[in-house]
Amino acid sequence: MSIDVDKIALVREPIDGAALEQFVRAGKDGAMVAFDGFVRNESHGRATSYLEYEAYEPMAMGKMKEIVAQIHEKFRIDRVAMVHRLGRLEIGESSVYIAVSAPHRGAAFDACRYAIDTLKKTVPIWKKEYFADGAVWADGELPPTPPSAKSAS
Amino acid sequence: MVRVKVLFFGRLRELIGLAEEVPELPEGATLAQVFDKYAERFPKLAGFRGSLVVSRNQEFAAWDAQVSAGDEIAFLPPVSGG
Repeated sequence: MSIDVDKIALVREPIDGAALEQFVRAGKDGAMVAFDGFVRNESHGRATSYLEYEAYEPMAMGKMKEIVAQIHEKFRIDRVAMVHRLGRLEIGESSVYIAVSAPHRGAAFDACRYAIDTLKKTVPIWKKEYFADGAVWADGELPPTPPSAKSAS
Repeated sequence: MVRVKVLFFGRLRELIGLAEEVPELPEGATLAQVFDKYAERFPKLAGFRGSLVVSRNQEFAAWDAQVSAGDEIAFLPPVSGG
């Protein structure tokens, strides 16, 4: 249940998903669910050449750790591996990989889904899509703004 | 005056050609006022006020939060990781 047994990272090399899946498996577990997000060959009908990801790295690590802490609190899971890649990625390469182990499958499915959905809404990482004839920053999601500082106290 | 670090990311960084600087700001300035100051200097930024969030010391912050010496403030476009 401790965050010390989890693996949370931002990397610039290819992600080894099989190693992450192995990492989260323990004797007391009976299930593991993994999400592998990888680069699609098109975006809104245009053929993608490659992607580039950038992050506000210390804040992104902080937000990823928060998500992992949240899923430990919400679901009966064991270990988590959450890795996001930065820099240039080619078609088919994994950009994000999340593996969750648990004694039973339901919690692993639910926690993995919650983790990727929350990551996409709250972790400060940005994707730029490159095409044969130009590049665009992907439409993203605006994280929620906290309430006014004046009314917060 | 207080010295803070200001960071721009993604399309904002690209738009103004500035990733980071360490300006001096009036004590008690709000994050909205900090943004307005940059929007005066880089008019192209102004239209983005409604489609970005701001963070202070690596936590999302309210626009009326005030800056303190040594703060790290970042202007963040909609996130698109994953």
